[in-house]
Amino acid sequence: MTEVSSPNSSSTPLQTILGEFRNISPETTKAVIFKEDGEILACNEGDIAKDRAKNLAAAFDEIANHSEVIGGVENLTIQGVNSQINVTTTNGRYLATVSSRMADEKRVKALTFVVLPTIIKLMDQIEPSKLENEPTDPPNSEAEKEKETTKPQEEPKHTEQPKHTEQPKHTEQPKHTEQLSNPHRMLSEQNFPKPPVNQFMVEKIAGLLVASDMVRIDADIVAKWVDLYGDREISQVNVETLEGRSVRCKFRPVREADSKAKGIIQIPERILQTLRLVEGKLVIVKPVIPAEWEEKS
Amino acid sequence: MSSKSSPNQTETSLTNVAVISSSDADDPAFASLGASLVEIRKMKGVLGYIIRGNSSAAFDLAEGDKITQFAFLSYQLCESCLEIAKQLSVATIESALVEGKSLKVLFVNVGENKISVFMEKNIDHSGILKRVLI
Repeated sequence: MTEVSSPNSSSTPLQTILGEFRNISPETTKAVIFKEDGEILACNEGDIAKDRAKNLAAAFDEIANHSEVIGGVENLTIQGVNSQINVTTTNGRYLATVSSRMADEKRVKALTFVVLPTIIKLMDQIEPSKLENEPTDPPNSEAEKEKETTKPQEEPKHTEQPKHTEQPKHTEQPKHTEQLSNPHRMLSEQNFPKPPVNQFMVEKIAGLLVASDMVRIDADIVAKWVDLYGDREISQVNVETLEGRSVRCKFRPVREADSKAKGIIQIPERILQTLRLVEGKLVIVKPVIPAEWEEKS
Repeated sequence: MSSKSSPNQTETSLTNVAVISSSDADDPAFASLGASLVEIRKMKGVLGYIIRGNSSAAFDLAEGDKITQFAFLSYQLCESCLEIAKQLSVATIESALVEGKSLKVLFVNVGENKISVFMEKNIDHSGILKRVLI
């Protein structure tokens, strides 16, 4: 049984262009664009047997297979008694036209060997980039930041302990959108968890034995980071105020593992000054992931 | 000049032209086309030719070490052109031109004789076609 192949909807632009062939060169009676497997991408003469297209591609390929001696086949023109055939191939697609010998040869050749191959190449360039762009919602870091910071806008009472909020859902969402836009990065982030974001209330720490460049953080949170990153030791955190000022510094868990330390970050005077912070304010803390960890993963 | 003969097969080499014939019978069309091709071969940019009849063949190619490749291409060109013409409902083939990146080949079908002329890309192949068909 002969399988008849019609141009599919994805090739509509090619079909339109092929339709224009007849307007530009009315002597071109037949024009067909097809793949090696015989799939018809566009045809100006209704349906064409898939087998026929397949045979055409095979015949052209046979010449191409023996054409090394002339530097490969760019195009082929066959002249019959009343008609001529032009066949060319571009990016794995074949174009064959049949036109009357009365046709303007230059015009037919320009259409077959120049115009259409150029269009196919352009379409190939456009389509992959379209695919790359389509599914991506650019990660809106500003909006995320806003989400993260809107929650604690209300100044909590000093007597209440603010809940430290780990936001794994927040951190996962942008990961998904980035995955689509950057597959390379996607791979590394699939293996490597994004640093969790935590909110703490500031407590001032002072004393002779207090390092001026080190903050102390709720020990439970530090334990969770250890769980998350395993053997890899996190040595620094990024402390950011709601106003956007931030500082990177060393940290250690709060010694007193009592309930009072929950949701608290103890910050020495020097860092408080740098961040223009006072006790009782909220800050966002993230562990600093060294770049080489991400590269390794 | 060298020649080699047997009752049924003759191979003659006249300067660069090699002729292979399976019978001693003369084919005037073949001889006439051969004479034209010898003249065409002298044209600047023409690298050589192959002519194949029913019982004879002749060739003269500049790059002797590539004779097999040229011969395969010549044969395949003839076969594939017939197939393509059949698939696109074109009855008879008069000629075909394959343009490669470095060279081009003109294929001419004259009765029983199939001719391939190999040339540089800048050569006017229509002029050569006319000379073959005269």
